[in-house]
Amino acid sequence: MNLKISLPKDYSGNSEEIIFSLPFDITEKGKLTKGHFMADRNKMYVYGEKGREKTFEIKDFYSFEVFRQSGSSMFRGRRRDNSKWELFCCFSQTHYIRFAELAKILDFYVKTGELSETSDTQEPNCPKCGAKIEGMAECPFCAKRSGTVKKLLNRMMRYKVPFFAVTALAIMSYGANIIMPMMYRQVVDDVGIGEGADLSLFARIAVMIVALSAITCLFDFAAWKINIRLSTRFIRDLRKDLFDKIQLISMKSFSRRTSGEIIRRLSEDARVLQNFMTGNGRQMILNVAALMVLAIIMFVTNWRLALMVVIPLPVAGWAAQKIMKRIGAGYQRWWRRTCDSSKYLNDVISGTKVVKSYGSEEREIERYKGISYKVSKNLERAECTWYLLYPIMRYILAVGEMLMLYFGASYVMGMTITLGEFVQFTGYASMMYGPVYWLIQLPRTLTQAMVSAGKVFEILDEPIDLSESENALKCDIEGNITFENVSFGYTAYNPVLKNISFEIKQGEMIGLVGHSGVGKSTLINLVMRLYDPTYGSIKIDGTDLREMSSESLHSRLGVVLQETFLFNGTVMENIAYSKPDATFEEIIAAAKIADCHDFITRLPDGYNTYVGEKGYSLSGGERQRVAIARAILRNPKILILDEATASLDTQTEKQIQTALNRLIKGRTTIAIAHRLSTLSSADRLIVLDKGKVAEIGTHTELMGRKGVYYRLVMAQRSTSAMKETAEG
Amino acid sequence: MNNYKIDDFSIDTLRIIDVNKLKLERKDSGYLFAEYEGKSYEEVSLTRLQPFYCLDAYISVSFRNNEEEWIEIGVIRDLKEMSGEQRQLCEDYLNFRYYIPVITKIHSIRDNRMGYLFVDADTTAGRKKIAINDWWTNFRINNSGILTVTDSDGNKYQIPDLNKLDGKSNKKLELFV
Ligand SMILES: Nc1ncnc2c1ncn2[C@@H]1O[C@H](COP(=O)(O)OP(=O)(O)O)[C@@H](O)[C@H]1O
Ligand SMILES: [Mg+2]
Repeated sequence: MNLKISLPKDYSGNSEEIIFSLPFDITEKGKLTKGHFMADRNKMYVYGEKGREKTFEIKDFYSFEVFRQSGSSMFRGRRRDNSKWELFCCFSQTHYIRFAELAKILDFYVKTGELSETSDTQEPNCPKCGAKIEGMAECPFCAKRSGTVKKLLNRMMRYKVPFFAVTALAIMSYGANIIMPMMYRQVVDDVGIGEGADLSLFARIAVMIVALSAITCLFDFAAWKINIRLSTRFIRDLRKDLFDKIQLISMKSFSRRTSGEIIRRLSEDARVLQNFMTGNGRQMILNVAALMVLAIIMFVTNWRLALMVVIPLPVAGWAAQKIMKRIGAGYQRWWRRTCDSSKYLNDVISGTKVVKSYGSEEREIERYKGISYKVSKNLERAECTWYLLYPIMRYILAVGEMLMLYFGASYVMGMTITLGEFVQFTGYASMMYGPVYWLIQLPRTLTQAMVSAGKVFEILDEPIDLSESENALKCDIEGNITFENVSFGYTAYNPVLKNISFEIKQGEMIGLVGHSGVGKSTLINLVMRLYDPTYGSIKIDGTDLREMSSESLHSRLGVVLQETFLFNGTVMENIAYSKPDATFEEIIAAAKIADCHDFITRLPDGYNTYVGEKGYSLSGGERQRVAIARAILRNPKILILDEATASLDTQTEKQIQTALNRLIKGRTTIAIAHRLSTLSSADRLIVLDKGKVAEIGTHTELMGRKGVYYRLVMAQRSTSAMKETAEG
Repeated sequence: MNNYKIDDFSIDTLRIIDVNKLKLERKDSGYLFAEYEGKSYEEVSLTRLQPFYCLDAYISVSFRNNEEEWIEIGVIRDLKEMSGEQRQLCEDYLNFRYYIPVITKIHSIRDNRMGYLFVDADTTAGRKKIAINDWWTNFRINNSGILTVTDSDGNKYQIPDLNKLDGKSNKKLELFV
């Protein structure tokens, strides 16, 4: 990362000696300014609009920090003499990352005396557009759009045989159609009327017309059949690829999106693409080809008349563009409103219990009425404009048709062309309108398809940041866990865990304690490798998690969380989720240990009782016991319990605790519990405070130390005492 | 409600600050220094409780203790109650902490069709090319019609009143919000 971006304009000193120089852009009153913060080996300088404003000795400070606030950030240092903070400069978040890096370097310098003059962290901004790229391989802002079309075509190429077959069939069927007007001409010109009519010719032509119609039908049917197969295959493959990818991408990119959004991509966007690729894409080829063929035929037959038909087309195209723009905006707006509506529905329907228990059904009904009114109003507006398009187009094209009819009729009367030729010509002219109308609406479909394609490819192209290295180690783990200087934050500027180091031996039971929000769940997320640490490493039996195959880790990991998710399915399936090939007896054995065999036996359908969203609702305690059975079945070496009993009453908790104690035996366990008393059987306690390890030791040791843990215990005792007074 | 108390339960109540007893000073630390009801606080910060709707009312005053935790001293109900000089100081501090330029004119909005948006706009901090990822979440109008923008660096921008924006800019916006 470059930390010498630019120097102040009026800087007159020796620029060689300056090691760091970063611009800053706001004052401590929130006003815009232009300034620079510079540092050499000994001194720091702040240059404002009027030249040098402040100078500091680096050695006067013992710590540096960058503090991020809602709208601005500030860079400060802490003085050695009076421990007071001193503000150096303020800046917008654009400069945050560089100042944070600088603060880290200076902090290290004053603490160790070692100054690293360059920073080897990744450049945070795209060199082309300057936008933040945060660890991504390619700048997402600069990524070319044509890429999407290319990718779409590449994908389509997988189905080139059926695709071209369908297209060919459709072209042939259209070809048969194109011959029709020629037949009409023959009927008019050559068959004749009255006495001299050539009835045998008429019969032949009639048979041909019928035959051609039959052929058209046949071709259409074949095309239709292949097309259905093509389109189902296309969407099945696309959804499969999307789903596979979603399973592979990390928690980090997963949690950036809501599950609704991801499901939308899987269902809606994939469907839009399917429609486009198998419907519109083919039709586009067809319609363009048809237009060209028709135009050629018409111009060859009579170029003057053809000109009449073609002249209004540019006008129509221009008008269509104008209207389309408005319609596009209208549909876009309508689309946004439907999203609002589905978001609202999702919210209220999953929160039905809350709505009902507060008796606010009326209010929600009113709100939904408002939202759906907006949706319908917007759709109405968009559709109205859309249906305005057709009459206007028709009108413009009709002008050309009128001209053609007028001149055509006069040519017929002047004997320049025959009546049959004229009939044929009008036949072709009317055939043109279909493709023209279709092409007019194309930009809208195209836009929609491209939006969906973009969303789909965004997922398909997402780099897998927790990818397994090629030679990932496959091993059977024992359960020794080591944290080495682990730091982690969900975002770059907000570290949750700072420099965590500890060791857990195989078979040890560890209680993880700390205030809520201190990062306990985050820490175990790292052990489960839902995320990778930003700095430092986590090792199991001496192997870095990043070098271990996911299979090795997860096959030996058992997890019981505060909220247990039961999939739609039977109790048995839910227990067996952790080991699909378990025998029924193994499942019962696990259920026995987890103390859920008895209640399962009492369920209406025993082990085959349906649980999950719409099934038999289990109580919180029962769910937890199913989760424990699930964990036991896997026979894990490492067991993770995150507030497994927090949502239960004391009585149930005691029962579950017994089940848990059976499970814990002989396994490395990391348990987080809100009620500290539940951790009494822990061999050691790790106390987190402000993102760091504050204390490690047994309950007795930590109570004796009278530190963070002692205070936590005392606070809990007083609240439980309070509860007793309240209850008693 | 304010002084609700049962036996041992000490319930935290809303403490409205009597601005006449409050004295604030700007310090070199980047924070404020405060004296209130006979106590003095070294590192004091002001927080807007409703940063979108009430810019100068309901301001929480809190200090950083030795444990580096923020503790609330109380809430200023309205900055208008304060004396001119004190009020100016508060406003300056808030303008700094909530440095959020307002978008005054939109030149163009470009969508790279992959969830990313480029907005070229005039703001109160000059003309900016604002790069936004995930525009679904980072570029939207909230329930009361304020457009809030967060760019890829984390800078925030706002359009507090879309009606005050010129027609052309509004037209360009329309497709994205
Ligand atoms: N997915 C997430 N994205 C961003 N921040 C998160 C996420 N999960 C947790 N956090 C934040 O990380 C901090 C630690 O959370 P957590 O580990 O859940 O705490 P604990 O389990 O100790 O109560 C909290 O400040 C929380 O807001
Ligand atoms: Mg937690």
